Amino acid sequence: MTVKALYDYDYPSRDRQELFGDDMLVNVQWVNNLMFAAPACFRAPRAMPWADFKAQLIDPWAASDPDYDPAAPKDWQVVGGQAIDPGANPTLADTGVVHKGLILFRT
Amino acid sequence: MAKLSMRERYSLLTRDLDWTPTYVDPKVVYPYTRYEGIKIHDWDAWEDPFRLTVDSYCKYQAEKDKKLYAVIESFAQGQGHLHLTDARYVNALKIFLQGVTPLEYAAHRHFEYLARHLDGPGPRFAALCQSIDELRHTQTEIHTISQYNKYYSGLHDWSKMFDRVWYLSVPKSFFEDAITAGPFEFLTSISFSFEYLLTNLLFVPFMSGASFNGDLATMTFGFSAQSDESRHMTLGLGALKFLLEQDEGNVPIIQDWLDKWFWRGYRLLSLVAAMMDYMLPKRFMSWKDAFELYFEEQMLGGLFPDLEYYGIRPPRHLEQAIAEKDYMSHQAYWLLYNFSHAASFNTTIPTPDELDWLSASYPDTFDRHYRPLWDRAKQLADSGHRFFNLGLPMLCQTCQIPMTFTEPGNLDRIAVRGSDFRGEHFNFCSDGCKWIFDREPEKYVQAWLPVHQIYQGNCGGATIPEVLAWYGIADGADNGEYLTSPDKASWDQWKASAQSGGA
Amino acid sequence: MSTAGKVRPVGVDLQDSEDTHALVEAIEADNPAAEVVHMPGLIRVTVVGELVIRRDSVTERMGRDWETHEFQLNIVSYFGTIAEWDDDKIIIKWEH
Repeated sequence: MTVKALYDYDYPSRDRQELFGDDMLVNVQWVNNLMFAAPACFRAPRAMPWADFKAQLIDPWAASDPDYDPAAPKDWQVVGGQAIDPGANPTLADTGVVHKGLILFRT
Repeated sequence: MAKLSMRERYSLLTRDLDWTPTYVDPKVVYPYTRYEGIKIHDWDAWEDPFRLTVDSYCKYQAEKDKKLYAVIESFAQGQGHLHLTDARYVNALKIFLQGVTPLEYAAHRHFEYLARHLDGPGPRFAALCQSIDELRHTQTEIHTISQYNKYYSGLHDWSKMFDRVWYLSVPKSFFEDAITAGPFEFLTSISFSFEYLLTNLLFVPFMSGASFNGDLATMTFGFSAQSDESRHMTLGLGALKFLLEQDEGNVPIIQDWLDKWFWRGYRLLSLVAAMMDYMLPKRFMSWKDAFELYFEEQMLGGLFPDLEYYGIRPPRHLEQAIAEKDYMSHQAYWLLYNFSHAASFNTTIPTPDELDWLSASYPDTFDRHYRPLWDRAKQLADSGHRFFNLGLPMLCQTCQIPMTFTEPGNLDRIAVRGSDFRGEHFNFCSDGCKWIFDREPEKYVQAWLPVHQIYQGNCGGATIPEVLAWYGIADGADNGEYLTSPDKASWDQWKASAQSGGA
Repeated sequence: MSTAGKVRPVGVDLQDSEDTHALVEAIEADNPAAEVVHMPGLIRVTVVGELVIRRDSVTERMGRDWETHEFQLNIVSYFGTIAEWDDDKIIIKWEH
């Protein structure tokens, strides 16, 4: 164990997958819009279809910027993984994004 | 009988009151000072230059308290808050009371623990004095700032907020990281790193800010506390040198701790950088200038050459901190502006004069990267769409700040680092925070990250109003935009009636 | 860049009060190279090498008996190491 202790230092992670059941946490960053000081964090079902994830979670958040056009996002990319093809309407799990992973887009 | 010298009195009242137990193994009496790997051969080598004894301690501290409370009383009686440059300044105090005062209390508790558990009588007594000092600071801060609670929002439930609110998990996790470490890491992290190395970057901004903005009460409390701080600084530097001198094997352990705690402390100070550049109607110094003077000049130029003698080098990731002095405050305040609908303080767009001061203070970065954001914010605010980031942010696992800091060398790109541990992914804002996680992952996987806790349903509900209620933040009163806040409305009214001669 | 071995500045920040003025006068008298800067509420004294505060000097200028212990009532911050503190004097300098 890396932590110096007088006993066996072994505790569960506070954000492990099983605490979210069939859901996961996914972070999303609008790369070229620094109005958004940080990427957003969402909780969503792993089986959620991409179109729903975008319409129900990403779009309302991105609309914090009144100039946001929901048709504008492109170059969807899982960091450390594959590009996302919205046309194929993958589920979140299908995109390969891991629990607490990050997805990028630009406009 | 001749009066005893300081040296003699100190010896009689500390060392000579100590004893080595014959009835039990000393290791049983002091069980916590071996497990960190630090080796101490001679506790008597720890000298306290202040040579305080209990009689002089009580005498001087009582005098400080009497002077302070006389000022607080006069401040209250004279409606001293009306002398502030502007009510907007009170938001700096909200950050202080919510984020710093609870750390004073935690320090009080932990120095009390050290006052019991350090083997040597000299350091035990110094720790006891510090424990009482920190309790005094907690009390004086509460009494000072509670004066403002009578007139301004956001200050009413700082203790509960500290345990719940997202931006306060930054100072909370910082200090809890320290108090859950062993006594020697604590001395390195708090006594040395926080109270010697970085102390001026915390205190001078708040106290000079108070002075420049007509806040007599905070300035007075600040000076009262700072006179204790000189003893704390001495304890910190004294502890560090003692540990380094006791055994060569201690040096790499201490170096690692220095590297960790410089970075954790530096990231915590981003809240102070934002405060000093953006929340003071009358600014006295930029974060950049403060960092150059108090850290680069005094610490790198003065202290670290001293420590070189022991084999200590300046901390890891220092180059990034130096590079960031040109833009860290802008990123941190822009973050607070984004999310102040969920905070117990107000934010607002800097005035044109303030924007010009920022341009002049940060000629290489402000106009190119941050003025455009403020121009856009103004455009939106003027058209009735004051910008708020209506989502929950991605957080760094270690420092717990939302991921807002940029890639070294590229101000247009938010830095993201990752690690996997036991099959689970973790995110970090920087190489520094990732390094800290990677050396003790079993500790940091337990972090109580506010955003993730909201999503686990542990924070009062799934909607922002429910979470604000759980935080104890009154929506429309404590949070959001300054210009439309109750604080501003009150201020305008008081100032108007002062001009018309009304009560 | 290492400046170890070169003589570096040490200093002390003091609260700006009546008592402190006498203290600063004493410091200036005993440390001819001292630089004194006034800031809001604060007086900063810097010396390259070593800063010494002598009890006798302060007592003379304050008009009453002054104990070195009282120094902690006025101090806001310092940089350097407190190398000595006894009944007669306080010395601040870097050790290495």
